[in-house]
Amino acid sequence: MAAAQIKRMTPYMFLAPAAAIMIVGLLYPIGYMVYASFLDWNPSQRIGEADFVGLRNYVTLLNDAAFRESAGVTLTFSAIVVVVEMVIGVGLALLLDRNIRGISVLRTLFILPMMIAPIVVGLMWRYMYHPSVGIFNQTLKEWGFEPIPWLSDSGWALTSIIIADIWQWTPFIFILALAALQSLPRTSLEAARIDGASGWQQIVYIKLPLMMPVLVVTALLRLIDSFKVLEVILVMTNGGPGLSTEILSLRISRTASEFRELGLAAAMSNYLLLILLTLTVIMFVYNKVVESRAQAIRQQAEEA
Amino acid sequence: MLKFAKGVAVSVAALAMTAGTAWANPYEPYEGTTLVVNFPAHPHYNAVMEVLPLFTEETGIEVEVDLLQYMKMREKQTLELTKSGGDYDLIAYVVFSKADYVYADQLENLAKYFMNPRLADPNYDAADLIDAYVENISSVGGTKGYLPGPLDSVYGIPFGSETSILGYRTDIFEKHGLEVPETYDELLDLACQIPELEPGMGGLSSRAASGHHASHAFLLHLAPLGGRIFDDQWTPIVNNEAGVAAAEALKTIVDCGPEGAQTFGFAEAGAAFLQGRTAMFLDSTVFAGQVNDPSKSTVTGLVGWAPHPMGERRGSQTGGFGIAIPKNAENKEAAFLLMQWLTSKRVDKLIALAGGNPSRYSTHLDPEVNEKFPHMAIFGEALRHADPDWRPIIPVWGKINADLGTALSKVLTEDLDIQEALDGVAERTRVIMDEAGYYTWTEQ
Repeated sequence: MAAAQIKRMTPYMFLAPAAAIMIVGLLYPIGYMVYASFLDWNPSQRIGEADFVGLRNYVTLLNDAAFRESAGVTLTFSAIVVVVEMVIGVGLALLLDRNIRGISVLRTLFILPMMIAPIVVGLMWRYMYHPSVGIFNQTLKEWGFEPIPWLSDSGWALTSIIIADIWQWTPFIFILALAALQSLPRTSLEAARIDGASGWQQIVYIKLPLMMPVLVVTALLRLIDSFKVLEVILVMTNGGPGLSTEILSLRISRTASEFRELGLAAAMSNYLLLILLTLTVIMFVYNKVVESRAQAIRQQAEEA
Repeated sequence: MLKFAKGVAVSVAALAMTAGTAWANPYEPYEGTTLVVNFPAHPHYNAVMEVLPLFTEETGIEVEVDLLQYMKMREKQTLELTKSGGDYDLIAYVVFSKADYVYADQLENLAKYFMNPRLADPNYDAADLIDAYVENISSVGGTKGYLPGPLDSVYGIPFGSETSILGYRTDIFEKHGLEVPETYDELLDLACQIPELEPGMGGLSSRAASGHHASHAFLLHLAPLGGRIFDDQWTPIVNNEAGVAAAEALKTIVDCGPEGAQTFGFAEAGAAFLQGRTAMFLDSTVFAGQVNDPSKSTVTGLVGWAPHPMGERRGSQTGGFGIAIPKNAENKEAAFLLMQWLTSKRVDKLIALAGGNPSRYSTHLDPEVNEKFPHMAIFGEALRHADPDWRPIIPVWGKINADLGTALSKVLTEDLDIQEALDGVAERTRVIMDEAGYYTWTEQ
């Protein structure tokens, strides 16, 4: 009897350390952040000394034009960055998924940008965008064009950081898409070829649909990451000119350190978390719907 | 360096002589104590690090220095000061931290140390400390809460303080027969005249990047042009005539400045001047030390200095650092002795000779210091007109500062109307001040 009970307990005992670490390492900080977002908390106070203000921080933020602008910048930035990176990354993967001499060297070269530390990437681009000594404006001037105010014009600044992000993160999508491509079932591709499908048809009807589950996850990862990007933009523009490149994570960091409002910063982080959570859920639901539809079609085909 | 070593030798000798006559050693009870201090990585404190070993040599008190980047210092200190037992015995604080730390009751009032005959040096001569620095960095509890007044008290001593100064290229000015500007009208005229006289060269290097930098540059012009952020009732008046004039001055300077000036921070503005891309520079005195350093500057020997030009009135900035003893420090008395030693006449001079920013009038007038740094006398003159109230030092300032800097950046880069931008700042500032309770006693 006792032995049976111990046996039944065993799996839980093995799970316990992992569960404990999860609770301490994951739930505690998140709980702390959620609690902090209900406080009027200045960093000179201990958390116990801060006043409880309920939902005031959340309401303040909704009425705060700077926060709304910053949220808008983040959404624009993420949307453009993810779409462009997906298109280029998948395109590159489709192009390079073949046996050319030296392809492995090329592949390694392509993923180099991703391996550089973000601060360095920021500095590198800042100098390349430099109004007088930067390589872009020097080249433009040499060719007889007007120099472009890369970082000093609010319209261009956002474009500039988007270009830098695309340069850095397209490789991420490229390697994942390439891995997906190479694990596609060769049989279906062969069947398509025998049926006389052209290159384009193979891509559109066979490769892309089969890669879709991987691509959705990739896009999601990129999306989450792009919402949290901080260092590159911090170094390149520090949010300026005006608020034109002040993405949410930068605003959160400034609210905590410059404005010394930890409660407000926590509330902002929670909004960010909510946005990301919503996007994730939508993506997964979409994925599920597509999958179940595919299954239904397959079933119909089998029955027929 | 040789001269510095000689200076040290002379003062050690002088000290030995005084010690020779009957002289009790006030440092004796603290011999062997180790003090932990927090200093910023900053040209002044680099000079301090050269002089600091002398303190241990003279007193037997060891000093351990935690050197941090100055913008990171506040975060670390805020954590340290909230602990019940702190690690730091002495901290250097950025002037705008004064309000936060004192308001949170985290610094020692220095009165009880200066009253203690065993600790206070009768020859300290506090009257020799530059008034504007003391008013800006040390005093709290008087006018507006952050300035001196009949009921004030002192929580820190200026150490590594700065004011604003005009640097200009003597060769360019000579070549075109230009006069060094004394008023704002002359300054602004000249700033836009230079790009015409010297194609490719900007008039005046100014910072302008969104946020703190744009706001700082604006405030530099606001005080001389007769403006203030608040009136005496804490009503924002940044959008009045003087405010608009200051913003217009900033816009003129940036428009006639070097290429890309809209995104310059302090470092870039300085670099543009050091690389010979502008003919003038108007900002903190801390910059002066780099001008004649050939590894950083291509304009060595070509730079003259003049006081910050006057508008309606004279009013150069005051800022930089002060040193203070945290409430939760372990060795407060020994920390006070170090503080007093560092800011004494003799050591202020030693630090100045090593390249630091002196905080005493006597050091600015000292012949030996002037021989090495000929600009020091002009700096001393400029300091008599320094304005301790050129920007408010209140806990909510960080937020207002950021908003002001963002609005000004929009003026500079997006052609937002100046009046409209400043009206917006004033309106949002009023809300921030109201929430912080500044209108509790007034009808708004």
